[in-house]
Amino acid sequence: MNHQPADPVLRIVAGSKIYGGIHAIDSVDFDLLPGEIHAVLGENGAGKSTMCKAISGAILLSSGDYFLGGRKVSFASPGEALKSGVAMVYQETSLVPSMTVAQNLELGMEKLFTVYRKINIAAQQSQQALNFNVEPLALVETLGTAKRQMVEIARAVRHKARVIIFDEPTASLTPEEIQHLFHLLRSLRAQGVGIIFISHAIEEALNIADRITVLRDGKLVHTGPAAELDRPAVVRMMVGRDVATSHYGEVETDGASEDVVAPKKDRRRVLAVENVTMGSVVKNMSFSVYEGEVVGVAGLVGSGRTEIAHIICGARKRNFLRGGLIYLNGKPIRYRVPRQAVRDGIVYITEDRKLDGFFETMTADDNIYLGYLASPKGKRALFSARQRKVVSDRWVKALSISALKRSLKIIEYSGGNQQKVVVAKSLAQDPSVVIFDEPTRGVDVGAIPQIHAAIRSLAAQGKAVIVISSYLPEILAISDRILVARGGRIAEEMSAAQATEEKIMYAAIH
Amino acid sequence: MSSEAAAAASQPRSGYKPSQAEIVLGVTLVLFVIMSVALPGFITLGNLFTLARNISILGILALGMAVVVIGRGIDLSQIATLGCSAAIAMTMINAGWPVPVALGFGMLLSILMGLANGYLVSVVEIPPLFTTLASGLLIVGVTRALVVPAYQVFLEPGHTNILALGGTIAGGLPAPVIAFAICALLLHLFLSRTVIGRFIYAHGDNALAARLSGIATRPLTMIEYALCSAIGYVGGIIMVGSTSLMHLQIVDSTLIFDVILVVVLGGVSLVGGRGNVLSVIAGTLLIGLLLNAMTIMNLDIQTQDMIKGLVLLLAITIDSIIHPRDEETAKQGD
Repeated sequence: MNHQPADPVLRIVAGSKIYGGIHAIDSVDFDLLPGEIHAVLGENGAGKSTMCKAISGAILLSSGDYFLGGRKVSFASPGEALKSGVAMVYQETSLVPSMTVAQNLELGMEKLFTVYRKINIAAQQSQQALNFNVEPLALVETLGTAKRQMVEIARAVRHKARVIIFDEPTASLTPEEIQHLFHLLRSLRAQGVGIIFISHAIEEALNIADRITVLRDGKLVHTGPAAELDRPAVVRMMVGRDVATSHYGEVETDGASEDVVAPKKDRRRVLAVENVTMGSVVKNMSFSVYEGEVVGVAGLVGSGRTEIAHIICGARKRNFLRGGLIYLNGKPIRYRVPRQAVRDGIVYITEDRKLDGFFETMTADDNIYLGYLASPKGKRALFSARQRKVVSDRWVKALSISALKRSLKIIEYSGGNQQKVVVAKSLAQDPSVVIFDEPTRGVDVGAIPQIHAAIRSLAAQGKAVIVISSYLPEILAISDRILVARGGRIAEEMSAAQATEEKIMYAAIH
Repeated sequence: MSSEAAAAASQPRSGYKPSQAEIVLGVTLVLFVIMSVALPGFITLGNLFTLARNISILGILALGMAVVVIGRGIDLSQIATLGCSAAIAMTMINAGWPVPVALGFGMLLSILMGLANGYLVSVVEIPPLFTTLASGLLIVGVTRALVVPAYQVFLEPGHTNILALGGTIAGGLPAPVIAFAICALLLHLFLSRTVIGRFIYAHGDNALAARLSGIATRPLTMIEYALCSAIGYVGGIIMVGSTSLMHLQIVDSTLIFDVILVVVLGGVSLVGGRGNVLSVIAGTLLIGLLLNAMTIMNLDIQTQDMIKGLVLLLAITIDSIIHPRDEETAKQGD
């Protein structure tokens, strides 16, 4: 079939997948050469996950052909794909936490009787071949994210994968771990493995990939060597318009600079956290938040930044607080349930909207109105369709939620609109302190500036705003003051003017 | 198998999607027509009234259960609660207490038991399945030890008011049907028009999000379970009205299974947050029809159980084909 110079190990020809009449991907042509790192970029909902699910056998293409090593294939399950040498390393790792590393490596290819000594030795060997350092007898649940990912990769290699798909592999890794991962990807490439690399982080893709494919609204926009591209060009292709080049960094701050004035001396301290300790995650954490400012909290996953937010707003179910005090407007507070925090005007906007953000069976209007009803000023006995319209109209307009079909359930909205609805649901409660946790995670590039503008305007209205984010350009773009959390305490505080990505990263790691 | 077939299957679904309740109503109608033709003695007024009377009590119990299931819980102690509180109320009436006081006391008891269930589920955080399994057993044990040593309590003759609840009104329409209709209407208004009703949906849809939004989920859970027992108690009193006795054997019967079958069949998903009063009515009609037909055909219990089990499996299968959960999340691409 293929008589090109280097035969692609994998080819999709005019692949389409249709969900309920809508094309998730629309006649996409994709090919992967052996020994190549091929990055797939695109906004959420652009179809990159759908394409990779089709490649890894999790779903079937509605139409189009799928060639693997020149042979036409059609996989009914990921297991079949794995047997043919196509492996996927998932965002949320798919290991069994209660088993050892060796057992996990063996998963799915066990003999009738497992000889533990043999699989342990095999695990040791495969780890060494990949230059890993993971104890084969360790339970997976005791490992950190980075090591789990290594185990997943080792498993893919052990299944003699010719194609490995990485879905957002760097999302929760430290910079050092990312470097290690990239090193590993390069060595896999040298062994002739074809690698598909899905990421939101454009810089990483530009850095590691040989070729880049950009998808937008299910269609292929561009495929070409990474060397010919730069960040603005990629963003332009992802979004399909030019505005998004101004969504991070310098340009954004000059848009907001009118309200970023020098810290006023007479600002009221709204929230004060003093020496709060909880378990081993939060240790002696102290900081203050003043009215009318955005405080950015940076730090690695596990640095205690999300946990302190949970403590402040009462979201922790079992509260093993070991001391310390939190003051709201000078009064000590300690909430056991979020309802008490909402009553006092503190809202927390979750980092995982699917888990505890929105009500999936309901429309956007219902979601926003329920937020209003749960707040003290929304207390009433009867559900009013008229009031629902008034409340939700206000927020749909304020956050420019594109609600062409207001009767749609929220689960059918795009990531950006879902996030805006979750934000609206909390802002409808008229809070005085707003805590955002990863406000733009899984949000389409186009919606990010709108959410940032909403955050800035909250501060302009005199509210105290805390933004927790792993994405440093975001922290730099919207904060007045930046706190860096490390190992359960605030390691460093800097003003937005002094801060740079390097400084923050340095404080977060060392 | 082939990708073309998959495309064809997913292509035309763009417009109207019938809800599970509507499908069940349709199936019921078809079944009704078939049975009218095929079964002699089915389409007589007498049989239809019997049918209506039998399903009404089941329907009332299912309404109560639906509240808990919408809130993503389940109450296996519902029958025990209603049996015991009704039996205690009957014992009080037999002992000479005024009827309203005795009935009110029974209602109070059932609400308290519901609150206790809700407390255990929401505050102590025991899974509802285990909580209510254990509490049902406990309730029956305590009641039998203290109040009703025999398995059954007969209502002494002369209490025409209570018996009227199980009787018929003008035209031969059974009173339980009226009671079912009233309960259904009230519950519908509660679930769709009150804020607490909407909160129950929110709670069942995503309990964590409800909590984080500032909804008081613990009291809400207690309200759900209390409503379930209270509505169940109404069904229990009507049961007494129909038979003039409360036999605690019903706790050990498959009645609780029938109630859950009705609820799930109509489309009140065990996932929570889905379904409404119409779902319960649809499920009640279908199950009532099936039970009646099986009785007329004189099928033995084993065959009846097999048919009931198959129907439930079928309903769940159809539901997962119409509302494919994986495809919905896959559409978002993240």
